[in-house]
Amino acid sequence: MVLSFFDQFMSPSYLGIPLMALALILPWTLYPKPTSQWISNRVLTLQGWFINRFTQQLMLPLGRKGHKWALLLTSLMIFLITLNMLGLLPYTFTPTTQLSLNMGFAVPLWLATVLIGMRNQPTIALGHLLPEGTPTPLIPVLIIIETISLFIRPIALGVRLTANLTAGHLLIQLIATAAFVLAPLMPTVALLTATLLLLLTLLEVAVAMIQAYVFVLLLSLYLQENV
Amino acid sequence: MPQLNPAPWFTILFFSWLIFLIVLPRKVLSHTFPNETTSRSAHTPKTEPWAWPWY
Repeated sequence: MVLSFFDQFMSPSYLGIPLMALALILPWTLYPKPTSQWISNRVLTLQGWFINRFTQQLMLPLGRKGHKWALLLTSLMIFLITLNMLGLLPYTFTPTTQLSLNMGFAVPLWLATVLIGMRNQPTIALGHLLPEGTPTPLIPVLIIIETISLFIRPIALGVRLTANLTAGHLLIQLIATAAFVLAPLMPTVALLTATLLLLLTLLEVAVAMIQAYVFVLLLSLYLQENV
Repeated sequence: MPQLNPAPWFTILFFSWLIFLIVLPRKVLSHTFPNETTSRSAHTPKTEPWAWPWY
């Protein structure tokens, strides 16, 4: 079996244990249980600060009714950012490169926001399908367009995260292979490639954090429309 | 693309949601904070200007 560059994304098993299971269970050991001490250690303080500020920032545009989603959205943010960042370590498996996982989160959560809107304020929810100030002849076309854009949202949400992370990992692997192959042949070019690899890795760190944030932010925006 | 392989899709979905619903909220909720939350007030308080020096 020839190894191709896509094989890093296969759901692998080692000694009968699917690595997906390990990649989903082990990261939470990085989040220790908070103590009842007044001032805890640095790790707990940092995590608590992040959770607090993130929840505050995310809940600002949502009214009181949206505050019910605080725990879900903050947990989702912690989930995604941890999985994304840990996936950048060598030889780790990134569960968020799997389309199944991302769609599995995007579709139910998006559907929940839509159903909440339809149930609590159906007129307003349906009113989002027609922007204000549309010229009358354009109304039917625009409603169709807005409905399509509404239904594309979960697909876009899931595929955006998958594609960003998959592309990043693939690029890292490709450029690392290039640097490795070039090292005995053209050392200078290999050094330049290695520098490129370093910059790319920094970019991927940023992308990992940003994509997790974008996922949760967009969900909160969809909720804002509908809550 | 191996991600499109439908074989472990449901397992991944089920397992990831299981972890997401059981492990994470417990960890997030166990962080407690000393101050009560305040809602944003609709009006800003009117403060009177003062001109006496600091000393």
